[in-house]
Amino acid sequence: MHGFATKTRFFLNETGSLSRFTARFFSVGVKPRYEVKELLAQCYIIGYKSLPLIALTAFIMGLVLTMQLRPSLVVYGVESKLPIMIGIAIVREIGPVITALIFAGKIASSIGAELGSMKVTEQIDAMEVSGTNPYKYLVATRVMAATLMLPVLTVLGDAICLFGAYIGVNMHTVTSYRLFIAQVFQDLTFGDFLPAFIKTFFFGFAVGAIGCYKGYYSSKGTRGVGNSANAAVVLASVMIFVIDLLAVQITDLLGLN
Amino acid sequence: MKAADITEDQEDLNHGEADVRPVIVIEHLYKKFGDLVVLDDFNLVVKREENVVVLGKSGSGKSVLIKCIIGLLKPDKGNILVFDQNIPLLGHDDLDRVRTKVGFLFQGNALYDSMTVRENLEFPLRRHWIDFSQQKVDELVMEALNNVGLPHTVDMMPAELSGGMLKRVALARTLILKPEIILYDEPTTGLDPVTAREIDNLIIRLQKKYHTTSIIISHDMNCVKNTADRVVLLSGGKCYAQGTYPDFEASADENIKQFFE
Amino acid sequence: MANETGNNTRLGIFVLAGLLALIMAFYMIGKNNNLFGSSFELHTRFPNLNGLIVGNNVLFAGIQGGTVKSIRLISDTSIEVTMTIDDKVRTFIHKNALAAIGTDGLMGNKVVNISAGKGASPLVDNGDMLGTQKMVSTDDMLQTLSTTNNNIAVISAELKATALRINQSAVWDVLNDRSIGKSLKTSLKNIAKATANASQISLAISNMVTRAGNGKGALGVLLADTVAGGDLKSAIAKIKTAGNNADQMTANLNALVLKIDKDLTGGKGSLNAMLKDSVIAQNLKKSMDNIQKGTDAFNQDMEALKHNFLFSGYFKKLEKEKAKQQNKKN
Ligand SMILES: Nc1ncnc2c1ncn2[C@@H]1O[C@H](COP(=O)(O)OP(=O)(O)OP(=O)(O)O)[C@@H](O)[C@H]1O
Ligand SMILES: [Mg+2]
Repeated sequence: MHGFATKTRFFLNETGSLSRFTARFFSVGVKPRYEVKELLAQCYIIGYKSLPLIALTAFIMGLVLTMQLRPSLVVYGVESKLPIMIGIAIVREIGPVITALIFAGKIASSIGAELGSMKVTEQIDAMEVSGTNPYKYLVATRVMAATLMLPVLTVLGDAICLFGAYIGVNMHTVTSYRLFIAQVFQDLTFGDFLPAFIKTFFFGFAVGAIGCYKGYYSSKGTRGVGNSANAAVVLASVMIFVIDLLAVQITDLLGLN
Repeated sequence: MKAADITEDQEDLNHGEADVRPVIVIEHLYKKFGDLVVLDDFNLVVKREENVVVLGKSGSGKSVLIKCIIGLLKPDKGNILVFDQNIPLLGHDDLDRVRTKVGFLFQGNALYDSMTVRENLEFPLRRHWIDFSQQKVDELVMEALNNVGLPHTVDMMPAELSGGMLKRVALARTLILKPEIILYDEPTTGLDPVTAREIDNLIIRLQKKYHTTSIIISHDMNCVKNTADRVVLLSGGKCYAQGTYPDFEASADENIKQFFE
Repeated sequence: MANETGNNTRLGIFVLAGLLALIMAFYMIGKNNNLFGSSFELHTRFPNLNGLIVGNNVLFAGIQGGTVKSIRLISDTSIEVTMTIDDKVRTFIHKNALAAIGTDGLMGNKVVNISAGKGASPLVDNGDMLGTQKMVSTDDMLQTLSTTNNNIAVISAELKATALRINQSAVWDVLNDRSIGKSLKTSLKNIAKATANASQISLAISNMVTRAGNGKGALGVLLADTVAGGDLKSAIAKIKTAGNNADQMTANLNALVLKIDKDLTGGKGSLNAMLKDSVIAQNLKKSMDNIQKGTDAFNQDMEALKHNFLFSGYFKKLEKEKAKQQNKKN
């Protein structure tokens, strides 16, 4: 009973401080001066450098999804619906969520470890003493970069995933890429695409904010840094699903489905 | 305020009469972490151009003390007056202005390991209300590195440097804004006696050259002997004893004697 | 410094690639949704939309030619559908074109099919109202098929019994009444036709069923739905028995009619006694009526069924083959 109470308190405490940490992004992070140079550097690291990984997983995902889905569709005699089904699955859910999860695995952990070790070796304090707001310089730039880069990665990931799906379709039948794309987009609407696209901004924000939070409040020692990297990935991944759930409910309410 | 103003200010003060007004006044300072009481009614006054060495056992709260002075930690109670400004009550911008006049050497160097030595040294210069030209920045960087005898490391990464070199680069970064007060957290710990001696000499040389006021935390009795105008023993969260190095050496107090064995 | 510039360039390429993909996606989706396309509109009114919704496709002669823009209730039996029509097809639609609600694939979305009307007519203008065409839905089809089969089964059983009775009791002697003879003849024709139809349909269906069993064709999905599947299977069974019955019946009746004809032309006069058995005569008359009605309805349904998309492929193929054979003969 006692353990449960302390755990609950710890959870509430953690939620509160994470919220406060995130709120600081809007109070501190958006005010000048802007760390444009650092933001660009982070965009390069967080966005560009993640592309190969995202591209590889997206390609395999598209291929595997097609190969898995095909037999069932054949049984029901709707094999011709394969492109549109794949298209909807990728654009609405699999593209954004898989990309975000891979992104969380790569970025949340690296941000968590980086800020964690900076915290432990007092580099963050050194920044503070050197007249640079470390929240602005380290946290705001990374959160912003993650928020902006994940949507770009998702769009590219979707495209690569569709290419993988095309290869998968082509293993059994010969289809031109143009026909495949036309079939995919035939029944896709903005209602499919826009909510999925918009939620990736939130995914990116969550990954950045959680990675920074876990690193920023890392406890001392190598163990502490490892823990914060690990906790960042776990929490960010869970958060992605929570946001996904919220997003689908909101789009439902707005009638965008 | 432009960089030029800072140096002028400094010059004015430095060329004036020997000023005995205290630059750091610490009154009734309390600080605890949870149940652990670290500082318990600590008092200290540091005069201009004085080198004060703070002695104390590991975990006695020396680092906590100087972090309170620079505003990295907020004390629970008490005043810390630096240039007559009460640090715990200052807002962000005012604190930043005081901090340009205070250098801080971290116990673990705290060099930014993702940046080159040059970028590390440039970092304190990028305060938003200082507008240096690139030429001036380069000049300051090289001057600071020359002071510590490491001009050739300017484009190296911290990971490529030895422990002693790191300490000296960290010192260079601390000195780059020519602070009037420097807080050294164990500047010679972990160094061989020769390098430690160099660092001691550097501290003394800087004090002569720039007329700085220093608080030096150290366990290294050679360093204490070389640099101290006055020694303060921090024990039980209080200023347990103070005096000159010979006073301490001659003391019969058990707590003090420990450090000379 | 040079390195940093390189990084920024690569970042720029990365972001632009993403932006380009985004714009492409918007364009592709927008193209299908007519968001950036034409503003040419046509209206039409249906009594029942069968689930048609805003955003569904409009097909002209089977080509994607627009989307349903809005739906408005005019009265309880009239719903106005407004469609945006793509530029590429609008110059082919004439004022007498007909709109109908159909299905895109078996389980697919509803669509509005616009088909060209018969005869000459000027091209449509923006805002024109198109006439409509009733389309038979799959559900309706299956339902009628099932009731018709029930009817046929009952009728053919009855008919068979009557015919037998007629044969046994030599009631045909009674039939100097020419009208009965005539209606018998029509019935025979109908029954013959019905049998042909029934066997054709059941062939078509069993063909589809085998294909569905192999997992091919749209019927596979239908059969997965057990209710529809069960309906269809029993329907096929009934059609088969009805067909068999009808075959027998036709033989019997043929014989009967031949005899009546002979008797009538032969002028045999010994029928009066029989004619007094008015019950039998009444029954016979009624039966004939029933047969006529039933077979008529059945044939109508079968005709309609032939045009249902489920079987259209099969019958088209049949026609093609017929044409081929005829070509060979010529
Ligand atoms: N941020 C903190 N949170 C909790 N406890 C702290 C924190 N910083 C310091 N302490 C505790 O305060 C006490 C004093 O720490 P401090 O770092 O000042 O020791 P020190 O005198 O500098 O020791 P050393 O000579 O080993 O550097 C220690 O017991 C330490 O555990
Ligand atoms: Mg310490």
